[in-house]
Amino acid sequence: MQDDILSILNESEGLNAKVFSLVRLKLLASLAALGQDGATYRELKAALDINDGVLFANLNILKDMGYLTSGKITSEGKELELYIITTEGQDEWKRIRTWLCRFLHCGA
Amino acid sequence: MEKRKKLIAFFKELGFAFDIARFDDRLIAQKLVCLLEFRGIDLGYSCSLYVRGPYSPDLTKDLFAFTPEFENLETGSRLNTAEKEAAGELGRIFGLKPVPLEVGATYGYYAIRQDCDPLEASRQVKRLKPFYSEAQIALGISKAKEFLYKPTRKDLEELKKETGIWQRASLKSLEH
Repeated sequence: MQDDILSILNESEGLNAKVFSLVRLKLLASLAALGQDGATYRELKAALDINDGVLFANLNILKDMGYLTSGKITSEGKELELYIITTEGQDEWKRIRTWLCRFLHCGA
Repeated sequence: MEKRKKLIAFFKELGFAFDIARFDDRLIAQKLVCLLEFRGIDLGYSCSLYVRGPYSPDLTKDLFAFTPEFENLETGSRLNTAEKEAAGELGRIFGLKPVPLEVGATYGYYAIRQDCDPLEASRQVKRLKPFYSEAQIALGISKAKEFLYKPTRKDLEELKKETGIWQRASLKSLEH
């Protein structure tokens, strides 16, 4: 495999460019670590410090891409929205992470 | 023996009827493991900070991969005396309630792992868990302190010295 910068840049064509926004990357990275367990809306909002409008819109975009699913759960008697990364989301995140590591020369 | 077997022994000791379908049960399992780790009982599921607070992705993988074992409490592992004592205190102090466990584990992460002073640790808990009330946070932190910090004999003697004056005074006042 070639390691010149042009080859690495051209490899990015295999990635979904729509994921390359800071908020979406933060969401994918956060949810990828939690696997099938997922995180609630309120946990994402508090931990990532993203306002409601931006968070809700970006979660929906990732859902539309097929990278996340959501559903209602009950915790301590309260109904909450839970977001879980899909297999497609995990795969895309893995591709992005690998490419970013190569791009930054961190040996991936 | 696999690390999950020891954890299942803890579930058994605590009378925890784990159900993978329940969000709160998965949360309880995570926070139990982290609280035990912060107390010095490392079950092999390393806890770090994620959007869910202190959390072990390895535990999530095991919970989903070996669900019947967790739900049916299948284990040949036994707890030693120190582990039994920790399980007993965990059950008595937190009572398998998700909110105090979550607040307590988050406090423990900052106070023990990050070595923050109590004020800073409390501030971080409030930042990460703003959806809990002041009362819920205060209760969780208080429980965490009770579980994580065991006063030494020397501490107890110091406390006795400090409170002895008032105790004697109150006993004397009863004589009148």
